[in-house]
Amino acid sequence: MIIFDNVWKRYAKELFRPAPPALQNVSFALERGHTLGLIGANGAGKSTSIRLLMDFIRPDQGTIRLFDRPAADLSLRNRVGYLPETASFPANLTVLDLIRFTGTTCGMTPQQQRERGEHLLNELGIWEARKKRLRTYSKGMQQRANFVLALLNDPVLLILDEPMSGLDPLGRGQIIDLIQRLKNQGKTILFCSHILGDVDRLVDRLLVLHKGQVLFNDQPGDLLAQFGVTNIEAAFLALIEQQSGECHVA
Amino acid sequence: MLPKIWSLARLVLIDGLRRHALIGLILLAFGLEVGGLLFVDFIPRDIGRASADFILSVGWLTGFLFLLFHAVQTMAWDEERRTIHTILARPISRSQYVLGVFLGLAVLLLLLNAILAALGFGVLVSIKGSIKAVYFTHLSLPHYLLAWAGLFCIELMILAVILLFSGLVRGGFPVLLLTVSYYFICTGLPVVRDAFATRFGEAAGPLTTLLKGLTMVFPDFGRFDFKALVTRESAPAAIQHLTTDLLLLALYLTIALWLAAMVYQRRDLQ
Repeated sequence: MIIFDNVWKRYAKELFRPAPPALQNVSFALERGHTLGLIGANGAGKSTSIRLLMDFIRPDQGTIRLFDRPAADLSLRNRVGYLPETASFPANLTVLDLIRFTGTTCGMTPQQQRERGEHLLNELGIWEARKKRLRTYSKGMQQRANFVLALLNDPVLLILDEPMSGLDPLGRGQIIDLIQRLKNQGKTILFCSHILGDVDRLVDRLLVLHKGQVLFNDQPGDLLAQFGVTNIEAAFLALIEQQSGECHVA
Repeated sequence: MLPKIWSLARLVLIDGLRRHALIGLILLAFGLEVGGLLFVDFIPRDIGRASADFILSVGWLTGFLFLLFHAVQTMAWDEERRTIHTILARPISRSQYVLGVFLGLAVLLLLLNAILAALGFGVLVSIKGSIKAVYFTHLSLPHYLLAWAGLFCIELMILAVILLFSGLVRGGFPVLLLTVSYYFICTGLPVVRDAFATRFGEAAGPLTTLLKGLTMVFPDFGRFDFKALVTRESAPAAIQHLTTDLLLLALYLTIALWLAAMVYQRRDLQ
């Protein structure tokens, strides 16, 4: 469903001074119905990978395909639900305004928009706040509003950028339950997070990025076995330490 | 394609209508227009023309402030706050994004001009009714509307260029500076061209041609300035060129928006 093949990406830092590559020769694939956790420290290339998947930025080298089509293909968007890292809405709109926009662009009828919108707003607990402006929402409410928009068109593939970011334990629990339900419904999910405990519970496969390079791409159990530890956090730290040690030796 | 463009334009429109700053801008302009009533006594003669000039100048100033402090910021905020990611995550292309934002801001501008034109006309009628006919002989509603339409055309050209600049450079302030520079070049170019023609005549052939050619990039806004007609009884020759001017406007907008769409299509949206 997702194929990332030898992708390189470098941001222009300043005029005539190129920055180090944000991604170096990154390859991975995600099959239908699987959940992939993308983990790494800040600056590892997680958000860059997601922006490349969403075609907000373009790779310098390599190819990215979703549903066997180039990532730039507009028709794919109908089947993808995207959750940005930070809620980023025009300040004076309500969630209903954005439901209408999302529904119209995805080709939903007004009745479908109403029914699906009402269902999701109730499910995520923001029905009462539907007419309030989004700037008055708390961080948790904004994240849930984002989820409503991401799920409105019942997408097959979900791309979630730090879905638990900035949420309190209660909000995090709700979002984890939601992702678990979506996983049980057979949705394909790619999400990145630096809260490794959450990743542990949800993913089928794990992709560890470090300074733009893939350090690990397999099942979480294999990573745990590789370092003889019982949780992802300890395994991740051991992997990073091992990599840093190799770099120093080199 | 059109429902997608309109659905985005609707978001831009609603967001703008709910902004307190825009409501404040309308109130400020209304205050200025009504304030014009107080200064009638200080104008020695030709009160009609001076009043119409004043009302339309207030309208122009308000539109220009809208362009610099709302349109420029809307584009900049979309990128700085990554609202553009929320929008483009839907099945909407970057070209449709450019057209949707342009349409939304253009409708907002149209509403702003319509409100100020209606209030301004009320002020002019009040002034006309309160002084002797000799000081305000004629007030033509069609020409008044034409003058506002002219202002709107100029604002549309600047708006299209703002979208192009917003694609080319990042940040609201550089776009604002570029827009102001563009406006000054557009208004200054005809003056420079006339000065050259007067001073050098035929001798400045290539330079005159170059200055004329630059008008394709920096249009002569004077073609859309119909202020002088509002209080005139006969329609002058300027109106005869209206069709040509409108065609040039359509061509200019098409090229500027096409370029803006091309720029957005090719660049990274970090």
